[in-house]
Amino acid sequence: MVKLRAKCLLVGDAAVGKSALSHMFHSDGTLFQKNYSMTTGVDLLMKCVHIPDSGDSVELYIMDSAGKQTLVESCEKMWGEVSLLCLVFDLTSEQSFANCSHWMERVRAHCRSLHLPGVLVGNKSDLSTRREVQASVAQEWAESQGLEYHETSAKEKENCDAPLLALARAYHSLYQERRETIQNLGPG
Amino acid sequence: MIDSFLPSLGAKVVVASSSDENHPPENITDGHTNKFWMSTGMFPQEFILRFAEPTNISAVTVDSYNVKHLKIERNTSQNANQFESVTEKEFQQTEGHLQSNAISLNGSSATHLRFIITSGYDHFVSVHRVSVQN
Repeated sequence: MVKLRAKCLLVGDAAVGKSALSHMFHSDGTLFQKNYSMTTGVDLLMKCVHIPDSGDSVELYIMDSAGKQTLVESCEKMWGEVSLLCLVFDLTSEQSFANCSHWMERVRAHCRSLHLPGVLVGNKSDLSTRREVQASVAQEWAESQGLEYHETSAKEKENCDAPLLALARAYHSLYQERRETIQNLGPG
Repeated sequence: MIDSFLPSLGAKVVVASSSDENHPPENITDGHTNKFWMSTGMFPQEFILRFAEPTNISAVTVDSYNVKHLKIERNTSQNANQFESVTEKEFQQTEGHLQSNAISLNGSSATHLRFIITSGYDHFVSVHRVSVQN
């Protein structure tokens, strides 16, 4: 039995629903904030996720980082060393999707060469008549960046757990891989 | 200078910040490099060694993998608190084999040595053996 710990960075443009998603995940779907309150710093939420059929678990320290352009630089100073990436955009905003590549650049530069398991999340899937980003396009871009793609609706409680559960599983696999590598090392 | 593996000094790990029951911290002090203690995510990570009695230590050798920066602190108290800094070192990255770094402690006397891994070259690091020269 192992308890792993991971710092999960939650980024994306302002008002795409990062805080709503993280609160829905953290509260097991009981807390949807109806009123918008812009995150101005980095909010921290912790949730322990059990990995099925293993007895192992992953403590996710979710860093909900402000999306507003003018705040990003000061927030980045608080990111520290990141283990996992959750990049969120708004399915009804082409611009928020286009900006994902800027977010990727910033995160990559921050983490240098370290490999980060990550997911791309298209949120607000309930607003189907206002959708501007097609699933196939988002899926394709996610794959090109090595991210796993998910669509969610924090408001309708659709699929909100899936992205962070996928990240916890990816982190658990990474741990097992690394442990295997270390077991096969030669002496110094 | 005598290279002592820790069992002969009655040293054991009394605190470790990560726990995988298949890779317990006792593996650090068993004198072998094939078994190891593994960190389970995020930094800093630390472990504290306690010696059976105050021991003068000229140097320690740490066999590890993917450790980037290590700080060492010591005390001469019966309790694992009130540590003072002794030294710190940046390790070179290795591939396919362990890192082995000798670190001078200038004959400091200690009942506890605290090893703080402040950063790594990967998400997870391992420590395979600590040995002491006294």
